[in-house]
Amino acid sequence: MLRRWPTSTDWIALAVFAILLLLPLGIGAYPVRVATVIFMWAALAGSWNLLAGYAGAVDLGPVVYHGLGAFVTAALMLKVGLPFLVSAGLAGVVAMAVAFAVGTPTLRLRGAYFAIGTLALAESAKQLALAWDRLTPIPLTGGSAGISLPLSAGYLVFYYVMLALMGGVTAAALWLRHSKFGYGLRAVGENDRLAEASGVDIHRLKRRLYVGSAFVIALTGGTAGYWLSYINAMEAFNASVTFQMVVMTLLGGLGTPFGPVLGAAFLTLVSEFLGTRFVYHYLIAIGVIIVAISLFAPSGLAGIADLARRRRTQGAM
Amino acid sequence: MSLLEVRGITKSFGSLMAVNGVDLALEEGEILGIIGPNGAGKSTLFNVIAGLERPTAGSVTYRGRSIAGLSPDAVCRRGIAKTFQIPQLFPRLTVAENVLVAALYGRGAGLHDARREAREWLVFVGLGEKAQMPAETLSVPERRRADLARVMATGASLILLDENMAGLNQKEVEAAVTLLRGVRARGKSLIVTEHIMGAILGLADRALVLNYGEKIAEGAPADVMRDPAVISAYLGVAYA
Repeated sequence: MLRRWPTSTDWIALAVFAILLLLPLGIGAYPVRVATVIFMWAALAGSWNLLAGYAGAVDLGPVVYHGLGAFVTAALMLKVGLPFLVSAGLAGVVAMAVAFAVGTPTLRLRGAYFAIGTLALAESAKQLALAWDRLTPIPLTGGSAGISLPLSAGYLVFYYVMLALMGGVTAAALWLRHSKFGYGLRAVGENDRLAEASGVDIHRLKRRLYVGSAFVIALTGGTAGYWLSYINAMEAFNASVTFQMVVMTLLGGLGTPFGPVLGAAFLTLVSEFLGTRFVYHYLIAIGVIIVAISLFAPSGLAGIADLARRRRTQGAM
Repeated sequence: MSLLEVRGITKSFGSLMAVNGVDLALEEGEILGIIGPNGAGKSTLFNVIAGLERPTAGSVTYRGRSIAGLSPDAVCRRGIAKTFQIPQLFPRLTVAENVLVAALYGRGAGLHDARREAREWLVFVGLGEKAQMPAETLSVPERRRADLARVMATGASLILLDENMAGLNQKEVEAAVTLLRGVRARGKSLIVTEHIMGAILGLADRALVLNYGEKIAEGAPADVMRDPAVISAYLGVAYA
């Protein structure tokens, strides 16, 4: 009666993941870099999608964990001398602790109040990061000048870390479709009062997801910082990171496992293609494309794929 | 010891006393009907028992333990589940998944058992055929039955039905009364609010009448409905 897993979709996703594992063998350095950017955004947008798409909580402050991840990773590498992966992992744990403390009060806010609350929080976090070195005896953020990280060895490590992050988030989204946790979250997203009346502890469920996505976002932020080998608080905590996560998810398909991946790939490739040809005007074209997709495919690119599949099966019958 | 004891419950919204000093007790396996005109405080009383509203004063004790002030999900897991006056759904989940959520979280069942129980409760309420339909495609009478399947799946032993028969025709009311007798036969206790007097007469062991937030009568349903205070509350003093 109810869907079982693994489904054919899960197998296809696994096959694509295997191809991506081998991809750097067949392509040059530039395509690998572009793919890394796509994976990075897919991991970020995918984390946002978990909370917004499944539990219906619109978080406008995920960049907090992006910036936190970048600076904690940098601090652990520079001050403590830990290797990159260990630093990024620890930054993820720090982000989880912060997310638990922040989520406990804020996740009780409903709807727009949660969105506004998290947006304000992200701005405060940025200001705090900018002022950190003046306010505390431990310089970490370099103020508005930012800090430089050691140059990294090669670009392949970033490709694989970002691929793993994207894979992890997508696997989590796939798992949510058939798990107890996922049913609870979808119930919260559909009708939180009814979910509560059915025994779902909505606050605990949302917080668990919020803390988990903070871990992934921080890891992604830490990896991105090391990859660029330079971070500053204005950029690492920039609200545009949040908005890009939102736009990519909505473009790709909110609440679908592959929507954020599609949205990230689409927007990154379009920016790359248009950006090299129309250096100054490409943002206008991207704006038009986003509006067109929102108008004609409100459920996103994943929705178009579903629609096409349904048409095809109907035609076959 | 009664299954549920409500003492001196008062709930005010600003200057409005929605419920004023109401006492009630319910024994295991009993069906209690709460009747009263619109705005008498029936739904508010239910919401207080189910944890959706915090009482201004008074206590609610279930199986000897106080539950006043607990969150709705905690009340549900303790064993009290409520249907909604306007039947509620998870619209884009299937009918089966709607019931599944209640079995998973209300009763704490694992996925395998919860799936089986969801299917059984849907058959019980006569919606077995609709299990795979999106819940939003159900008609209003079907939504009420799906809501009943949901509260049954929570494993609750006390079920609160808030005007579960509103808007049903005579035949559907009879079917609903039969269904609710089946609910009791499965060891559940029930409190039902209704303003269809006939439905209460055929179903409840005992009835309690609310008017303007206060209890004005309590007893066997047939006696209560002959009570002059009840008749004047419903029809005006001239008829009493």
